[in-house]
Order: sequence, then structure tokens, then C-alpha cells
Amino acid sequence: MAQFLKKTALFILTGLTVISGIVAIPACLINHFSDFTINKKYKIVLFGHSHPECAFNDSLITGFKNLSHSAEPYFYTYQKVKKVVSQNPQIETVLIEYSNNQIDEKMNDWTWDYKYMSNMFPIYSSFMHTTDIEVLFKHDSGVFFNCISISARQNLFKAITFDYNFADRIGGYLKLNRSQRLSTGDSLAHGISKYRFLNPRLSIINLIYLRKIIDYCKQQNKKLFLIRSPQYKYYEYRYNEKVYLDVKNRYFKDVKLIDFNNFPLSDDEFADPGHLNMKGASRFSNYVNKQIEAGIFVSDSGFVMK
Amino acid sequence: MLIFSTLLDYFTGLKMAGSDSLKQKKTWFWLSVIINLGFLCVFKYYNFFASSFAQFSANIGLHVSPWTLKVILPVGISFYTFHGLSYVIDIYKNKIPAERNFVDYSLFVSFFPLLVAGPIERATHLLPQIKTKRAFDYYKAVDGLRQILWGLFKKIVIADQCASYANMIFANSSVYTGSTLILGALFFSFQIYCDFSGYSDIALGVARLFGIELLRNFSFPYFSRDVAEFWRRWHISLSTWFRDYLYVPLGGSKGGTWMKIRNTFIIFLVSGFWHGANWTFIVWGFLNALFIMPSIILKTNRSNLEIVAKGKLLPSLTELVHIVLTFMMVVFAWIFFRANSVTHALNYISKIFSASLFSPFNLDVNRTQLFETILLVILFLIIEWLGRENPYAISTLPKLQKRAYRMAFYYLLVFLIFLFTGKEQQFIYFQF
Repeated sequence: MAQFLKKTALFILTGLTVISGIVAIPACLINHFSDFTINKKYKIVLFGHSHPECAFNDSLITGFKNLSHSAEPYFYTYQKVKKVVSQNPQIETVLIEYSNNQIDEKMNDWTWDYKYMSNMFPIYSSFMHTTDIEVLFKHDSGVFFNCISISARQNLFKAITFDYNFADRIGGYLKLNRSQRLSTGDSLAHGISKYRFLNPRLSIINLIYLRKIIDYCKQQNKKLFLIRSPQYKYYEYRYNEKVYLDVKNRYFKDVKLIDFNNFPLSDDEFADPGHLNMKGASRFSNYVNKQIEAGIFVSDSGFVMK
Repeated sequence: MLIFSTLLDYFTGLKMAGSDSLKQKKTWFWLSVIINLGFLCVFKYYNFFASSFAQFSANIGLHVSPWTLKVILPVGISFYTFHGLSYVIDIYKNKIPAERNFVDYSLFVSFFPLLVAGPIERATHLLPQIKTKRAFDYYKAVDGLRQILWGLFKKIVIADQCASYANMIFANSSVYTGSTLILGALFFSFQIYCDFSGYSDIALGVARLFGIELLRNFSFPYFSRDVAEFWRRWHISLSTWFRDYLYVPLGGSKGGTWMKIRNTFIIFLVSGFWHGANWTFIVWGFLNALFIMPSIILKTNRSNLEIVAKGKLLPSLTELVHIVLTFMMVVFAWIFFRANSVTHALNYISKIFSASLFSPFNLDVNRTQLFETILLVILFLIIEWLGRENPYAISTLPKLQKRAYRMAFYYLLVFLIFLFTGKEQQFIYFQF
């Protein structure tokens, strides 16, 4: 039996070493060779989740690159910002979406729930600091190890195929063709659901990582603005407005908010209450382009669309 | 439930053994059978019968809302009930003496590797092993670990990868083309085989570490040349249970062709029903009975007893054609097994046999990952084919001359298991 136990222990130890190598070596290669460079003409970059992803058609805005990605919480945006900003010195201005749902506890799920984490973690795992890894591990080690294996598989594939280009897979403008069809019933439903949002529970992890993004950009001497894309009047998350503004003024008062929440759009310019469709994005992006030309990001003052 | 069932069978076993008359023995025997099956029926089938009755009543214009049971199905009830039944039947038939040591008997019923999903053990096979003093055997233990590793590979790398596609396709079958639906049925076929046989491999391997040999449950069923052979190689412990405790007592094949046909239909319908309280399982059982009929009638059902192409590298063309045809029939029947309802299965099948059969796949997934999964299934089939003459595919790996090759293969399996560990999917047979 002693021989059996000895050999089994040796097999397990060797296996763990091999697995550690499989995780670590491709991750190091990717961290070293990853390419986040974007065209040098882009001086303004935007990060966020699906709201800005669908709202800013960057082909209509001069010198502007939309790098937003659906269901991306600040935890993963932080990893992306570090890489994009460090590899693109031409960037002058960084815009970070700060909208009502980004303070909500729903963002916790976006950060570490398997459904979301299994998509985001494999992309950014190679660039994470140990403190970031620790956040995920401490929350749910089971999900963490599942995602580690998905991440190792994808990293290995990237390393073997020398596919180190990330610039094309970290976000961009998403064109939505559909139009929302709201009935009285829908607006009533939104009205009823407001009670859930009047006293929202905050996503502390998301707010901590927004702070980290801000601090990093400041450290890199980048001009930084928070930005809010247009949201439909019956969008349920708008009911947390009081808390939303309170959080902004209390924790992020050092950064100006460019607020397009009330940008005038008709119902058929929304794909759904949180997202603009192609038509809405086109009108909104042309407006943003004019505002940029007029110097909206030159002054340090905020902007609120009444 | 488990404790009650164990106590019931233990005491009725002792009472049967101590009975002075056959009548008394019979009374204790039927008491055990009725209570065991009664519990199984109540927990597993009551709601099915109640809802079927309500549906039937509604069809004839009577609206009834029967009381339904709101309890979770006790884990492994189908398996330990059959363990207990085999024990009391064997005592009744004087095949074994009643077990007097309660601890030994309890271990027979609740031995943890086989408790939730089998293999369905027999008292004649397992109890003597439990009672024998066992010593640690290095080679058996290593073989056990090897089989566990192979079972994990089947479950995590093949079954769980196939499951993600099969689940997606079966859940939205109305939006996919016929060709995609065929792919879905194929993925499910490999999922269920690797899921269940993977579990059995793990159970057998764990038991072997304790020096216990459990009944073999699978023997390369997808290489069968006819459906009768498939059923001799698929879920062997259940098939033989039904053969010994249902088919043979019903008269088996002694009473001529009609009796054979009747008994075959009975065991397949009961087997389908054993899997779950849903018409889909009953139709699945019926289809398999139908597929096996030609060989029963032509008396060719025992013509393929040996593994295909024994001692050869490749099968003959005829054998290959038979394997492919049998596999296609099995896959067709699996559609009913996997579908949520008979209507779902029929819609699925009608969509396959529509013009969209010739349309390209419209599965909106990462093509690289899909290709990876297909490649892994092919690799798995090659290994299974090469190892088909053994108890499990990689059991003769130690015969490889160079230890380095052997170790490299084991590490490759470990490596693949690690890389494909995604979100865990529950073993399919845990629900039964």
C-alpha cells in the first residue's frame, strides 16, 4: 500500500505541476505579447457595457473609438483600460460609462457569476493582478476553478496559434436593428418594478473598480470623464436616480459627468429601454460628434442634457 | 427511505428463511415486493398517473384536479429498490441464504459507489465479496484508478461538452434545420453513453480500490451489429436484472415465438417506465422492442455474441454497415428519451425529415469549440474501438512496452480533463 500511495502522490504532484505550467506559461506569453493597439487616429476612447456599446456609432464620430462590451462590469473594464491606455499613448481622453444600473448589485453577478465570468475571465485573466484573482477566488472558488480551466484552454489555443491580437475582440459599436414596442402595460410594469430600485443595494465591487479605473487614468495623465448614454423614460433602473447621483457626488466627485440621459429620442429609436437601435445611435452619434467639435471634452466642466 | 427499505428487506429475508411453510414464505415475499414497489410507485409514478388520469378525464369532458405529491424523488430509489428486490427474490428461490449480519446487508444495499446510479448489483455477486476478508492489492488498486481516470475523461471531456450542444439544440429544436437536429441527436447519443458509462467506470474503479468487483455495466454498445446485441452491451446490470427477474419468470423464450414477442415487449415497456414517469420513456422502450423484433422472429437475436471484428484491426464492410444501421436506430430512439414530451419528439423528428435536412447547420456557436468537440468524440471512438476487447477501453494500457508512453497518455487524459472542466453537468442517471 505504501508503494501505491507514494506513486499516486507522485502522479498527482506531477499532474499539478504540468497543469500549473499549462495555466501559467500561455498566460505569461499572452501578457507579454498581447496587442491592444488601435489606430493612431483615435484620441478618445469609450469603455462601458451594452448601453454605450449600442449608443455610440464610432464610425460617425471623429477620432473616437467605442470599446464597450456587453455585460462588462468595471472589474474587467479595469483590466482592459490598463492594457489599452498603456499600449496607445496617442489616447488623450478616456470616457467611462456610468449609468444607473452600474451601481446596482446586479453587477456582482456580472463580475463573478459563472454565466458572465466564463465569458469575461478567459479574455482578461492573463492581465490580472493577484489581488484581482483573489477577489474572484474568495467569492466562489468552485466557479473560479471552472473558469480557470476555460481560460487555460483559450490561452493555450491563442499561444499555439500566435493569436495575440486583442484589439478586435474587446468591444466595439453594436448595431441593433430592432425597435421596441411599448404598450401601456409595459410602462405600467416598469412603474410597478420601480420599488425594487428606489432603495437599491449597491455593487461595492463595481464601485471599487470604477475608482481603480479613475485612479489609473489619472496616474497616466489622461483626461477622464464619466458618461451616461440615453435611457428610455420608463427604463426601470432610472428609479434609482437619487442614489445614483448620491454615489457619484460622494465617491466620484473628482470626475465630471457628461450626461446624455435625457437626449431627446423617439420611442422607435430605442431597441429596448436600455439600448438605442441603429436609428437612435446614428442620430445620437452625430450629435456627440458635433459636441466634440464644439469642445465638450476640452473644458473640465460637466455636461447635463436637460 | 433507504433505512426503511434496508430494514424491510433484511427482516423479510430473515422471516422467509425462518418460515415453516411455503405459504408463510410467500406471504413475507409478497409483503416485501409490494411495499418496495409501492414506495417506488408512489414516489416516482404517482404524479404521472394522477396527471395522466386528469388528462384522460379532460379528454372525455370530465374535469378533475387530483391531489399531487409535492416531494423530491428520493435519490437512487430505483437502484436500491432493485437491489433489495433481487435479494428477496433470490432468497425466495433458495438461491442464497438470508443474510444475518445487518451491517453486511446494509453495505450491500448502500455501498456508496453504486448507490445513486448503479450498477444494479445482485446479492449473489456482491454479498460474498463483502463477507470475504479483503487485502490490499496493488495491481487492482492501480487498475481502479485507471478506470476512474477513464470514467472522468468520458464524463467531463466528452459527455459534458456534447451536453452543451445537445441541450441547446433540443431546447430550441423548432429554430434549427434538419441537419442541425441530426447533430443534436448525435451529440445526445454520445452524451448519454459517456455520462452513464463514465459514471459506471468511476463506480467500478472506486469499488476496485476497496477490493470489490462490481458488475460490468457497459461493453462498447455503439459497436453493436444489431439491437439485440446493443441491449446485451448497454446498461447490462439492468438488462440482466429484467431478464432474470421478469423475462424468465414470464416464461422467457420457452413458449414459442408469440410468447417471446409478448415478453420482449413487456420487458422493454417496463424498462422504459423504470427510467422515468413520462410517456417519452415508454415510447423509447416500445421503439427498442420494435427494433429488436426482426431478430426475435428470425431467431437471430443471439447471433452476435462476440465483440465485432475480434482479433482484427478493422471490421468487414458488412459489419460496418450493420454497426452504422444499428447506431442510427439507437439514435432515433434516443430522441424520444431526450425530448420533453412525445409531441416534442415527433416535432423534432418531422423537422429532421423535412426539406431543411439538406440545409447547412444553423447552430450559432463558436465553430472552433464545436470542431474541438467533434474531434474529441472521434478520438474517443478510436480509443474505444482499439480497446473494445477489454473490460474498458484503456484497461490493457499497461501492456504498452514503454512506461513513458503510458504515463504520457495518462497525463494527456488529466490535461484534457482539466482543460474541459466547465460548469458541471449532473449525471443523467441521477434523476432515475
